[in-house]
Amino acid sequence: MMDWTYSAGLFIAFAAAGTAFWSLVKENDDLHRLILVDLLEVITLAFIALAGTDLAEALILPGLVVGISELMALSEIYLRKEGLRNQPRNMLRIEVMDSAPGIIAAVLVVYGIILTGFSGGAVAGLGILFYFTCKGHEEIPELVETASGCAWVLWIVAFFTFILLPQYWLFAVMTAGTAILIKVMAKMALVGTMRGGSDV
Amino acid sequence: MYEHLMENIGGPVAFALEFGDIVNYFSPYTLTLFILAFAFTVLAVVSRPERQIDIAFGGDAYTAKVITLQEMRFRRFMAIACGLASMGAMVSGDIFNFTLFTSMVGITNVGIVAAVRNRHVLNAAYEYGIVAMAATLPLFGGAAIILATTGTLSIWELSSGTWTVPAVAKGLLGLGVIGEGMAPFYAAKAEMFRAPGAPYVIMCSLSSLLIFLRVIEIIITI
Amino acid sequence: MIISRISQILSDFENLVPLFAAACLCLAVIGILTLPLAYHEAQLYPKTIDRASPLDPYDRGGTPFNATPVIAQYPENSPYLGYVTSYLTPFSLFLAENTLHLGTTIVSHPGGILDEILHNTRGLDTVVETSILFTAFAIAFYLFRRDG
Repeated sequence: MMDWTYSAGLFIAFAAAGTAFWSLVKENDDLHRLILVDLLEVITLAFIALAGTDLAEALILPGLVVGISELMALSEIYLRKEGLRNQPRNMLRIEVMDSAPGIIAAVLVVYGIILTGFSGGAVAGLGILFYFTCKGHEEIPELVETASGCAWVLWIVAFFTFILLPQYWLFAVMTAGTAILIKVMAKMALVGTMRGGSDV
Repeated sequence: MYEHLMENIGGPVAFALEFGDIVNYFSPYTLTLFILAFAFTVLAVVSRPERQIDIAFGGDAYTAKVITLQEMRFRRFMAIACGLASMGAMVSGDIFNFTLFTSMVGITNVGIVAAVRNRHVLNAAYEYGIVAMAATLPLFGGAAIILATTGTLSIWELSSGTWTVPAVAKGLLGLGVIGEGMAPFYAAKAEMFRAPGAPYVIMCSLSSLLIFLRVIEIIITI
Repeated sequence: MIISRISQILSDFENLVPLFAAACLCLAVIGILTLPLAYHEAQLYPKTIDRASPLDPYDRGGTPFNATPVIAQYPENSPYLGYVTSYLTPFSLFLAENTLHLGTTIVSHPGGILDEILHNTRGLDTVVETSILFTAFAIAFYLFRRDG
């Protein structure tokens, strides 16, 4: 029974992959190609998910991250290549954006820290992003970048704790949890602010 | 513990490096590739970048291209990251871990040339990046099919011969590595090599050759 | 003659994406033709779905603060296997006991089977993954900052 389920899933995944690759053969526009390969990443995740175990679920995360990071680097290359540097001029300006940022950002960050982990990082990142959008940002990205780098180091420390000193697993899992919180938060905030500020 | 020594291609395993489920191994074959990657990483660390000079035909005129220190530092960083990723890919004893290292090689290769201020080189880097990104489908797809059909990702287990890995999974894995590293398409990479900065562009070429050699070993072994 | 023509086609980087996509397309067709593939039943870290559990969609098995059996590839390499799985922070334990749909997911709280896999048994994967993200960010940010 299971056999057929898996094969049917594979059939669909292969068919989707074939369709996507066929369109990639036909497509000439650079931007459309970028979008098409992003669609391909989704099919990649389908292939991994078809294994249907907790391990597959854990492997989806690296697969997803690889896709996102390559997409980000490539889209930046595309912007440079085409010389596109127009920034949005008339961004949304409403009163609440002048009065609220501090409190909303603080609430989101605190809630994110309580949540911890990946989604905590996303929530807290949203808070910081909201703050930057409203208040503007000149020197912040460097700071956030440094924080993200430190979080990466924390992650490596946690990894080696797990491997070399497994009896301190609790310390390691907490370190890793904190690291992913800071990392995701920093990345979210950076992606959001990379549009360009008033200083460029 | 690891009773299935792989003797069909790389000779006996000298020693294994354990990271939980992922057990890296150093056989004569992987160790040679590892040392090669290591040597070139050291080379990228210590060497001084070239200064590219264009000579105009039919005259004495020549122009030296000015490259900022910042750009060179960034490209050296990328070259070192690329070297580290290749080193990891050379000794990895786990299919999925290998695919991750391979995609890191792919993205660092793009990074090495993407910093160049030359529209032609950027165009080439973009095309190459698209291929590298599309290659993650066959790469991860192959690994996922291996996981689903055999129930393991460890090359140690797979090499014991108890499991039959579907040929299509092997094909996907190979095609994925070709896409990430462009191993047989060096002619196409020539556009990327037009970029100045001798020790760093070498890393692009070497790393893709290394991951290609490694995936051949994996495909034969599993 | 043929070789020089082939290499001429290959050397034009404009042709690279269509060529690679065509190769992948062929392999996808071959993949469909070789179906069905047998699914191996004895998987690592198997997933069980317990509809009666209060954590239903996210229940990854294992009980917090209890020994949790985990089927890993090399259990002997991870002497404290299962400890991370069974761990929940006090706050997430409170949520898990009092609300629905708050299981042990990577997207929420430290602890749980996914953390066990991602941090402990297959930690190297996550290290590489974060390094990839880091590298990609370095590329994007370098380009962004240089030309602003």
